Amino acid sequence: MLQLNHISKSFPGVQALSGVSLEFRAGEVHALCGENGAGKSTLMNIITGNIQPDKGEILWNNSSTIVKSVAHARNLGIGIVYQERTLVGSLSVAENIFINPPLSKFGLISYSLLYMQTQHLLDELRLTSISPEMVVDKLTAAQKQLVEIARALAQNPSLLILDEPTASLTHEDTAVLFNIIQRLKTKKVAVIYISHRMDEIKEIADVVSILKDGGLQGSFNSGTISTEEIINRMVGRAVRQLEYHSHKSNRVVLEAKNFSGKGFQQISFSLHEGEILGFAGLAGSGRTLLALTIFGDRLKRSGELYINGKPFEAADPSSAIKNKIAYIPDERKALGLFMEKSISDNITSADKRSGFFSRQKNDAVGEAAKLKLDIRATSVRQTVDKLSGGNQQKVVMAKWLQTDPEILIINEPTHGVDAGAKEDLYKELKKLTAAGKSILLVSSELTELLLLSDRIAVMYNGSIKDIVNHEDATEELIARLATGM
Amino acid sequence: MDVKKHFQDRIATLSIGIILLCILMSVSFPGQFGTVANFSQLLLNLSIDTIVAVGMMILMIGGMFDLSVGSVVAFSGGLAGYLMYYHDVNFLVAVTAGISGSVLIGLLNGLLIARAGINPMIQTLAMMGIVRGAALMLSGAGIQNFPYQFIIIGQSKLLGLQTPVWYMVFIVALFSFLVKYTTFFRRFYFIGGNERAARLSGIPVEKMKIWAFVFSSLLAGIAGILLSSRLGAALSTSGRGLELRVITAVILGGASLSGGHGKIVGAFLGALFMALVNNMLIIGRVSGYWQEIILGIVLIVAVGLDQLLQKKTGK
Amino acid sequence: MIKRYYCILLLTLTGACELPPHPQENALTANQGKEKYITSNEVSPEEEYVMVTTAINLPMYVSHDQAAFKKWGIKMGVRTSIVGPAEWDVPSQIATLEQIITGRPAGLLINGTDPGLAQAIHKAVSAGIPTIVYDSEIPNSGRHCFIGSDWYEMGQLQGEKMAVLIHKKGKVACMGILGMENMEAGFRGFQDALKQFPSIEFIGKYDDKANVETAAKLTADLLAGNPDLAGIAGFDSNSGPGMALSVKEAGKAGKIHLTTVDAEPEHLRLVKEGVIDYLVGQKRELFTWLGAQYLFDMRHKTLQISGNDAMAGVIPVPTTIITGSVEIDKNNVDLFIQPSPARTIKPSL
Repeated sequence: MLQLNHISKSFPGVQALSGVSLEFRAGEVHALCGENGAGKSTLMNIITGNIQPDKGEILWNNSSTIVKSVAHARNLGIGIVYQERTLVGSLSVAENIFINPPLSKFGLISYSLLYMQTQHLLDELRLTSISPEMVVDKLTAAQKQLVEIARALAQNPSLLILDEPTASLTHEDTAVLFNIIQRLKTKKVAVIYISHRMDEIKEIADVVSILKDGGLQGSFNSGTISTEEIINRMVGRAVRQLEYHSHKSNRVVLEAKNFSGKGFQQISFSLHEGEILGFAGLAGSGRTLLALTIFGDRLKRSGELYINGKPFEAADPSSAIKNKIAYIPDERKALGLFMEKSISDNITSADKRSGFFSRQKNDAVGEAAKLKLDIRATSVRQTVDKLSGGNQQKVVMAKWLQTDPEILIINEPTHGVDAGAKEDLYKELKKLTAAGKSILLVSSELTELLLLSDRIAVMYNGSIKDIVNHEDATEELIARLATGM
Repeated sequence: MDVKKHFQDRIATLSIGIILLCILMSVSFPGQFGTVANFSQLLLNLSIDTIVAVGMMILMIGGMFDLSVGSVVAFSGGLAGYLMYYHDVNFLVAVTAGISGSVLIGLLNGLLIARAGINPMIQTLAMMGIVRGAALMLSGAGIQNFPYQFIIIGQSKLLGLQTPVWYMVFIVALFSFLVKYTTFFRRFYFIGGNERAARLSGIPVEKMKIWAFVFSSLLAGIAGILLSSRLGAALSTSGRGLELRVITAVILGGASLSGGHGKIVGAFLGALFMALVNNMLIIGRVSGYWQEIILGIVLIVAVGLDQLLQKKTGK
Repeated sequence: MIKRYYCILLLTLTGACELPPHPQENALTANQGKEKYITSNEVSPEEEYVMVTTAINLPMYVSHDQAAFKKWGIKMGVRTSIVGPAEWDVPSQIATLEQIITGRPAGLLINGTDPGLAQAIHKAVSAGIPTIVYDSEIPNSGRHCFIGSDWYEMGQLQGEKMAVLIHKKGKVACMGILGMENMEAGFRGFQDALKQFPSIEFIGKYDDKANVETAAKLTADLLAGNPDLAGIAGFDSNSGPGMALSVKEAGKAGKIHLTTVDAEPEHLRLVKEGVIDYLVGQKRELFTWLGAQYLFDMRHKTLQISGNDAMAGVIPVPTTIITGSVEIDKNNVDLFIQPSPARTIKPSL
C-alpha cells in the first residue's frame, strides 16, 4: 500500500531521518518503535503531508506520489490519530467526528442525519459507552481518545496511523481498540502503530520496525523478535530488563485508616519503609483522587492518616512537603513543569530552602541532577518544553528529589516515556527504595506494576478490592480485580 | 430531567437570573419597572449593544475579539451623516456607504490579524483609535437634521416597539440559526477550540478569521446607522466604552476568552442582564459613584457563581 | 399555502408600522383641549424632579449645579434626583433620559451637553413633562425653557480685559473646543471685542479638546512659534490650567497674560498666584435653582397668564434666561476661595 524509499529529512542542526525505507502492507499492523527523537514524528509528518522529504520517494499503491498537503493525504486515504487531543470540548461527539456534517437540501446541517450517521459508526466500532449527542467536555479521557479514533475512522482510511493510542485507555478499552484493529485488518486497511508499550506491540503487531537517531535499525516479524532485543535496538546499548528486587522492611511509614474523600471511601492500607506499593485500577477508580487527598491538594471527608505512627492532617501540599511527602503528578506538562523555564529552574522550583536566588547555585543543582538521572539535554539552562517526554519526567523527578522526601507518591511515571528513559526511571526508583524511601506507585501499566511493586492494591469504584503480594500477582488477577470481580 | 446538567448551562443560569431580577424589580418599584413603557424603552436601549454583541460572540467563539467596534459604530453613523448633511447625498447611498466603510474596516482588521499575524488586541486597539479619529473628523461636534427617510429607519414603530428592537430580534434569530445549522459558522467552534487541529482538519482558518472580523464590523456598522437614525444625530461620542460593555455581555452570555464556547442567544441574554441592572440603577436613583462599582460586582458574581456551580457538580 | 400565509403576515406587520412624526408637526399643537404638560393642584413630598446630566461626578457640576439643585429640593420639601453616566457619555445620558421619562417625574432638568439630546428631549415634552435645558441650548428640542450663560458676552469680556492687560498692542490667540456652538460664540465675542484695537493681532483659535495636556502642549507650541505672544484666552474648563502649566514651565508667568472661563478651585489658585489674570465665571447655581423653581411653577400653576395655561398651551415661565457672567481677578479672588456652603458637598452614598 505505502512504500517509503530512502527518505531523508534534515532540519537546521539535526538530521531527523537518513535513508529510511519501509513498507506498509494492506491488512497488516506495522509497529514503529523508537526513542523520542528517533524520527517517528518526522516520518509521520511526511506521510501525512505536513512536511516534504529532502530526498527519497513515496510510493502509494505502487505509483510514485508527492503528498502535497494534509488535505491531499486525507483524499488519498491516509488517516492519523494524534497523540494530543484535537477535539472541541463544547461541541458534541457527532460534530467532532464528522467535521463536514451531512446537509439537508437547503445546505443546512441536518442534525438527525448527523446523529444517525454517528450512531452507525459507533455501533460498528462497538463503542457502547458513547452516544452522539454527548458533549465532549463531559467525557472521560478514555472516551475522548476513543472519539478521536472514531473520527479518523469516519474518513474510511486505507492507511491508519495510531500514535500512542492507548495512553489514556483502560485495559478494557484497549481490548475494544484491538478488536477494531483486527477488523481493520480483515478490511485490508494498513495500520501503523506507534507505541512504547512492548506488551501491546507483541500482542497486536505483525511487523515491528525500529528507528534510532533517524536511521532504520531493521524490520522484524513481531512474533520472532524478543522485547529485550527491540529495546536494545531502540536504545543502542544492552539494556537488561530490570528484575524484581525487594527492599521492603517491616517498619510502617504511612498508614491510612478508613480514609474517605471525594471519589474514594474507607481506604485502609499501610506502606512500609523501602516498599513500593502499587495502585492498580481502571480510570475513575479513585486512585488519583486518593493520591491528591493524601498529598493535601484535596480535603478528606473522614478517616485518619498516620506518618511514622503520628497522626497527620494534610491541610495543603506545603504541609505534606514539610512532612517529607512528595507527589509526582501524571500530567507533567500541566501539573509538574514550568514549560518556559529552564531545567535548573524547574528542578529548584519546589525547594523551600532557597532564600536568595543565585544562578550558580541553581545551575549546580541542575548539573548534579542531570548527571544523576542522565537527563539528555545540551545544558541545564535549556527550557524544558523542548525535551522529550522521558527527559521531562526525569526533570520532574529531580525536582521532587530536591525536597528530600521520605515518601513519594508517583502517578503514571512512564506515561509517554520511551523504553530507554523508562529503564532509567525504574532504576532510580529502586535506588530510592534501597536508600530507605517508600513509594506509592499509581500506574495503568500492569507490566510496570508487576515489575516494581512489592504489593499491589487494586482499586475499583473508590475502594480497595484487595492488596496482592508480588508472588501471587498475575496480569489476569489484577485485571479481574480492577473490573470489580 | 437532569437538573444538575442544566445548572452548568450558562444560558439556563442567566435566564433564571434575569427572571429573578425582573421579579425583584417589579416588587421593589411597582408602577415604574413593570410597565410596557419601561420595557419597550429597555429593549430599545438594549438593541444597539446586542447587535454588536452578536458579532462579538461570533469572534469570541473563534477565540478572537475586536476592540474597535465602538469606534466603528460612531464611524458608520458619522459617515452617513456627513454625506447626507454636507453633500446632500441620498439616504440610501449614505447608509450603504456607512455600512460598506465598516465592512472595509473589518476586512482590514482581518487581513492584518490573520495574514500578517498581528496580535488581535494590538491591532483592534490601534484601529479603535484610528477609526474614532476618522469618526471625529466626519462628525465634528455632531451632525443633526437628517432627512426624514433616514429617520424612518430608526424611529418607526411596529406594534409599539421602535424598529431597532425588531432589527435586534431579527439579527439574533438569524445568526442563532446560522451558527447552529451552517457548516460555515460551526467551524468557528473548531477554530476557537483547537486552532491547530482545525487547520489540520482542513478548515481554512485564515479565511474564516477574516470573515469573522468582517461580520463583527458589519454588525457594528449596522448598529451605528441604527443609532444615529434613532437619535436623529451623529454624535462624536457614540460607542465610547461600547466594546468593553459588549465583551462583558458576551462573557456573561457564555463565551470564554480562550474560545470554543458560547451561543448567540447568550450574547442577547448577557446584554439583557446588564441592561436590567443598569435600569435598576436608574430607577433606583442610585448615585453615580456606585454605578461602576455595581456593574463590576455583577460581573464577578455572575461568572463566579457559574464557576461555583460547576465545581459542586463534580467537574 | 404556507408561503401565502407568510406574505399576509408580512403585509399586516408592515401595515402596523408606525412612522415617526414629521419634524414639521408640532406635537404640542396636535392636541386641543388637553393639558400640554402635566400639572397638579397639590404639592406632594413624593413628587420628583430629576436632573439628567453626563459626567455625573465632574467636580464643577457637583459643587455648583447639583449642590444648588439639592438645596432647592430640601427648601421646597420635594424629591430631587440626579442621574446620568459617570463618564462623558452622551448616548448613555440619552438612554438614561429615555428611561426616566417612562417614570413620569414632575419635572426634568437637562444638562445640554450635546445637540444629539434634541430628540429625547422632544419625547419628554411630548409626554407632558415640564422640561428645562441648562448650560447649552439644544435647538429643535421643544424644551419649555433654557437657562444658560451668554458665551458671546463671555468672549467679549475676555477680549476687552485682554486689550487692557496687553496695553492695547501685541499678538493674541484663543483656545477651546472647536465646533461647539457656545464656544464658537465665545470666540466670536472675543475677536469682535478686539477689532477696535488696530495694534492687536489675533493669530487664531485652537482646539484643546477640553484636555489639560493638550491645552498645555498647544500653549507651548504657540509660545515657541510666536516669541512675542502677548496673551491667550481660554474657553473651556481645562484651558486655564493647561495654559498656566505651560506658561509657568516656560518661566513666563506674569509676562504672558492669560484669561479664561470658569472659577473652580484650580483657576482661583492660579489667579492668586498671578499666573492667570482674569476669570469669567458662570452663575451655574442659577441654572439649576431657577430651573427647578420654574419646573415647580409650571407644575403647580404658581402664576397663570391665561385662565389655564396648560390647556391653552401657554408656558408661564421665561423662554430663555441668560444668567450673566462673574468677573474675577486678583482683587476679589479671595472671596471666591472661601468655601461657601454650596461648595462643600459630601458624596451621598
